[in-house]
Amino acid sequence: MNQVWIAIVAIIVAPLIGGLLAGIDRKITARLQGRYGPPLIQPFYDFFKLLGKTRIATSRTQFIWLYGYLIFMIAALVMLVLKQDLLLLVFLLGFAGISFVLAGFSCKSPYSHFGANRELLQILAYEPVLLLMALGVFATNGSFMISEIFESSTPLLAKLWPIFIALLVVLTIKMRKSPFDISTSHHGHQELVKGIMTEISGPYYALVTLTEWYELVLVLGLIALFWANPLWVEILIALAAFVLELIIDNINARMTAGWMVRFTWAVGLVLCILNIAYLYFMKGVS
Amino acid sequence: MGIIRASQIKSPWILHFDNSSCNGCDIEVLACLTPLYDVERFGMVNMGNPKHADVLVVTGPVNYRTARVLKNLYSQVPDPKMVIAVGTCACSGGVFHNCYNILGGVDKVLPVDVYVPGCAARPEAIIDGVVLALQKLAKAVGVAK
Amino acid sequence: MTLEWMLAIAILLPLIAGILVFIIRQYQLRGLIVILTAAVLIVNSIYFLKIGLPVEYTPESHMWGTIITILDYAMLLFYIYVGLSLKNWLVFIFALTQIVPLAWWEFGMGASKALEEIKPAFVIDQLSVVMVLVISIIGSLICVYAIRYMFDHEHHLNLEKSRQSRFLFWLVMFLGAMNGLVMANNLMWLYFFWEVTTLCCFQLIAHDLTKEAINNGARALWMNSIGGTAMVLAMIYLYQTYGGDVEYLTVSTIIQSGGAEVLLLLPVALLCFTGMIKAAQMPFQTWLLGAMVAPTPVSALLHSSTMVKAGVYLVLRLAPAFNPLLGIMVAICGAFTFFAASVLAISQTTGKRVLAYSTIANLGLIIACAGINTELSIAAGILLIIFHAISKGLLFLCAGTIEHLIWSREIEDMEGLAEKAPLTTFITAIGMLSMFLPPFGMLLGKWMALEAAYLIPLAAFLFILASAATMVFWAKWLGRLLQVLPRLGRKLESLSLSYSVPLWVLVLGIFVFGIGVAPVYEKFVQFAVNNVIAIGNVFTEGWNIVLPGGAAAFSRVGVELLGSYPVWPLFIVFAVAIVMPLLVIGLKPQELRPVYLCGEQVGDSTDTDEWISAGDEKAKLQLGGYYFKDALGEKALDPWVYTVAIALLVIMFGIVLGVGL
Repeated sequence: MNQVWIAIVAIIVAPLIGGLLAGIDRKITARLQGRYGPPLIQPFYDFFKLLGKTRIATSRTQFIWLYGYLIFMIAALVMLVLKQDLLLLVFLLGFAGISFVLAGFSCKSPYSHFGANRELLQILAYEPVLLLMALGVFATNGSFMISEIFESSTPLLAKLWPIFIALLVVLTIKMRKSPFDISTSHHGHQELVKGIMTEISGPYYALVTLTEWYELVLVLGLIALFWANPLWVEILIALAAFVLELIIDNINARMTAGWMVRFTWAVGLVLCILNIAYLYFMKGVS
Repeated sequence: MGIIRASQIKSPWILHFDNSSCNGCDIEVLACLTPLYDVERFGMVNMGNPKHADVLVVTGPVNYRTARVLKNLYSQVPDPKMVIAVGTCACSGGVFHNCYNILGGVDKVLPVDVYVPGCAARPEAIIDGVVLALQKLAKAVGVAK
Repeated sequence: MTLEWMLAIAILLPLIAGILVFIIRQYQLRGLIVILTAAVLIVNSIYFLKIGLPVEYTPESHMWGTIITILDYAMLLFYIYVGLSLKNWLVFIFALTQIVPLAWWEFGMGASKALEEIKPAFVIDQLSVVMVLVISIIGSLICVYAIRYMFDHEHHLNLEKSRQSRFLFWLVMFLGAMNGLVMANNLMWLYFFWEVTTLCCFQLIAHDLTKEAINNGARALWMNSIGGTAMVLAMIYLYQTYGGDVEYLTVSTIIQSGGAEVLLLLPVALLCFTGMIKAAQMPFQTWLLGAMVAPTPVSALLHSSTMVKAGVYLVLRLAPAFNPLLGIMVAICGAFTFFAASVLAISQTTGKRVLAYSTIANLGLIIACAGINTELSIAAGILLIIFHAISKGLLFLCAGTIEHLIWSREIEDMEGLAEKAPLTTFITAIGMLSMFLPPFGMLLGKWMALEAAYLIPLAAFLFILASAATMVFWAKWLGRLLQVLPRLGRKLESLSLSYSVPLWVLVLGIFVFGIGVAPVYEKFVQFAVNNVIAIGNVFTEGWNIVLPGGAAAFSRVGVELLGSYPVWPLFIVFAVAIVMPLLVIGLKPQELRPVYLCGEQVGDSTDTDEWISAGDEKAKLQLGGYYFKDALGEKALDPWVYTVAIALLVIMFGIVLGVGL
């Protein structure tokens, strides 16, 4: 019963945190650009405004996939707060992404298709890193369970710092920040109109915004696992990663999709492999 | 829902469409985004897509070709929506009035809510125009002070 | 029913039915016989659950042994004939490499007398029963589907003389051979059934008698003949090594060695190699890709329940007899195939080739599971066999239905199929989603495989890359199907009963088995794992899968928990995902509008996908998919794939010979 309450609280609180973080994001970005910036709760204004718009769509099935995106994201978050299997969490996260891609594909729009194809490439880029993170956690703790991470005394970061760096790259992709804001971007203008979001408007846009807030909390939660105890370090490390992403966003230009896949596989995967190989090697030695 | 109505005037997303202007007004519209004016303070974001926009900002006089596009774009902006004509040309046709290819001001094609005159319209005037449009919207949705 | 009768029905009934079907030239009557046979096979296979397992059976009379020997030679002579008449020297050579050692061994060395004494001929355990169920149920459904499909197929080709009888003969007989294969314990008999499946496969692939079909059929024949040769060599090696002791010519004896006997290592590796060829593992994937020219029921049968499953079955069956080194190599070979096939699938433009690569990939995964060789991985392998058979069977039947709707196999032609054939698209989408979406079974299997793969990090790494690629190619294809204009007044297409019944039964199967994965696991897989493992190596990893009940039954003292698959939250999510759209029907679109085309779309009606181009002319909007041919195409990757795959096989045999000598 306790677990059900934890899950419910997480489902309610996560978007609030996510929305607030999005507000901080816009504020800090504005300050970095020498502007004053919108109010902190501007993302919530946007969210509710979008809910009030007319529901126009270009496809009848699109909103079902968007639901899939939301539901699988929530499911992944619930797995995280209930400290369940990390591998399954990553699978759920992956399917959430696929569901979003299918939403992009489900209307006959060139911009939306471009965005969806690029989103697919993003999944191809980050999914292996996330799965390898799970494998790395297994190599350290001997279990895929998140609960085990909290029980171990040394933080994961000590042994898994290369994977942590790879995960920061994934965070950039997930937060849709430069240089990886390829399929769509939170900024007004980009070359593909709005990429995969082009045909998603009004309340559906709000739905995606909500999902992205969940996603932000979830991915930051994964980052926080690297220093699971005590709680304040956990929060601090997540926030530090978040601020780092904002700085990266503001000092980089957008790169191409091909570059993204090559970069994540060349840097992210190699870091993960070296790390895991080292862990297995040490295990073999001892 | 009160919260939705209250939010509607806090987050105007703008679609900027250039009919056949001399680009003077367009530069002023973009100037609003610069740190000097920073319209994002009011939650305004310049969108590239009518489907995400609340406010259609039109510059330049309507000609026969752009009229079709303008109508298409307007129909793709989901309700509730506002139209602002920025600059003298957009308001009335300006110096292009009675040209062979020009229909005239934006109001020949679309219902315009706010006219921002000026050649070119100053950024302050444009921001003022958007705020005026929002007040009109607030009255329409019933949250006006 | 006695065991004798059940075996007779499972193995001989398809043969008899096949002959009947071959003789009868009337469409309705022929269809009726196929349907009746299917029904009897299904009921019969369910009866296998009722008998106490494992059981052994050896026919009283030696007559059967003689018949099988005669048929063996008849088949091999036929291969030689095929090789000569097609002037295909590979077929000829590899038929010779089978028949010459076999004849030399049986008659030259006089082994034939001793070979008659091999006992028991059949051993039926839980793993066999799982296979029999898969073959009988899914295979039968595919045969039912084929009745109508072949009618339409010939109608489309405008054939003068119907060859449907011949087709159905091989198709139905295939099931009998497969049933025999998974229950046979005597290696000689296993070899016989193995060759029958190869023969059926050749006949079915070459059925259309086009040049391409015959060539591809011949390719399947010679590649599988290499496997047959390996099997013959394994048998002779066993016979010679143990000084004419035929006891070692049974599967059960080999398994009981538990991988400890060095002398058994080479024959086990050879048998494994045979299985890998039949399962179309790299570098032998081309025969299965070539099989795509055949009518779609053939592909469905080859991919889901028969033929390739025989290969993975043999590898899984032999898993307890692997020594750790061989296990690691098999796992890496399988994992590499999983990875390479998944990546190659991304660049495929033909629907059936995507399915074929996906099958090869999943078979690689199953073989890798066998190689990892722990309880968890074996269970993953068996679950994958079951779920893959259901999903892939459905997907191929869908591909066939789509082909008969649009008369094309190209993915680009399927663009917007959701508009033309919403029902078929819906079923296809379910099939595709069941390949990678939680909580369907395939994902469960993949998850278990990945959890088990921690023992071999290289395999785990390849799994990870492959599973990312898997998602990409499914999503890409599904995306092409779903792309629609929001037209009003869409109509559901009507499907013939022979199409729709198998389709819906398989869809039902996906949901029932997906939701009921816990009982499925407890009823079938758990015991099957016991059967495979309890005889051989018992590994220390326990597991805690699915439900507390299952976990309690299985966990031992001092067992390391590998994590669990908490099904309940997923099913809650699943239920919510289905119900939510209904509850929030308010979020259904209020207005349908054309897509954003920079304001240049023609008019404001939703039906239009036209826009006004720069020349003030109307142009139709055309979209295409990404295939990354340059980076991921077969041309770019095949040299690498072949090099690595052959190198892996060489290393495998190098290690085996090194240890063995």
